[in-house]
Amino acid sequence: MVRAYVMIKAHTGEADRLRNDIEAIEGVERAHIVAGDVDLIAVVDVDSPGAVKDVAATQIQGVDGVEDTQTYIAMD
Amino acid sequence: MRIVIVGAGRVGLRTARSLEESGHEVILVESDPATADRAVEEGYAVVQGDGADEETLEAADVADADAVGALTGDLNTNFTVCMIGKHHGCRTVMRIDEDYREDIYREYANEVDEVVYPERLGAILAKNALLGGNIRAIADIAQELQLVEFTVTDASPMRGYSLSELELPANSRLLAFGKADGSLRLPTPDDSLDLGDRLVILAEFDRLGDVRSLIVGETGRAAVGDA
Repeated sequence: MVRAYVMIKAHTGEADRLRNDIEAIEGVERAHIVAGDVDLIAVVDVDSPGAVKDVAATQIQGVDGVEDTQTYIAMD
Repeated sequence: MRIVIVGAGRVGLRTARSLEESGHEVILVESDPATADRAVEEGYAVVQGDGADEETLEAADVADADAVGALTGDLNTNFTVCMIGKHHGCRTVMRIDEDYREDIYREYANEVDEVVYPERLGAILAKNALLGGNIRAIADIAQELQLVEFTVTDASPMRGYSLSELELPANSRLLAFGKADGSLRLPTPDDSLDLGDRLVILAEFDRLGDVRSLIVGETGRAAVGDA
């Protein structure tokens, strides 16, 4: 299993809707609304590093209201 | 009141000045040494250090403060300051950097009592200055609610009538009234609407056009809203 943390910068105040949309993506274990210069953090659990890219770069980026993402893959 | 302000930049320093002019006691917290020195030179009590660090805020006597303003340009710092401030029982005000975040912090951040977005008020002022004319947006109260001052013109259909005869659209309220040469005050039913008189009205965004037609007439140049 590969675990990754995806920092998500939004451009909408609909944080609830964003969290629901992101949590509905397969591979996303959960998402939290956070304070600071990113607005949500999603925890991703998938089978391979390649799937991380698909979930983070393609699917989360594709959610309406997401401006930018940054992905960190856990190494431990 | 006793107030701690974190961030002695443009926003923090002006807020401190305004509070001191109103007789409040202000302590500034600033991490940048040069900026902190400048605030000291201007006569403020300044604690130099990172406001997101509890020890720094304790040095600024946050435990005895009534309110804490987290007014730096850094969102992470501002939120941490509010968390520490709330822990010490202070009223907390957090500066944000983008307007969409206002709703998020209002809904989720229990540590934050008020959110301020200085650029929005700046934009309203700039818009009024650019448009001139008979409509002046005073403040966005909420996303769909604006406080606006309208001026009675030659073309106003209500000109010559009294306030008791004024029937505003639904979801709008008259809050203050001022004769052309006087200052704003509470409205009375007998006030007459003459050229140059001003009405401060709280209205839902969608109603502003109707209010404008009624009070300003159709010559009003400025479209209100969308600051």
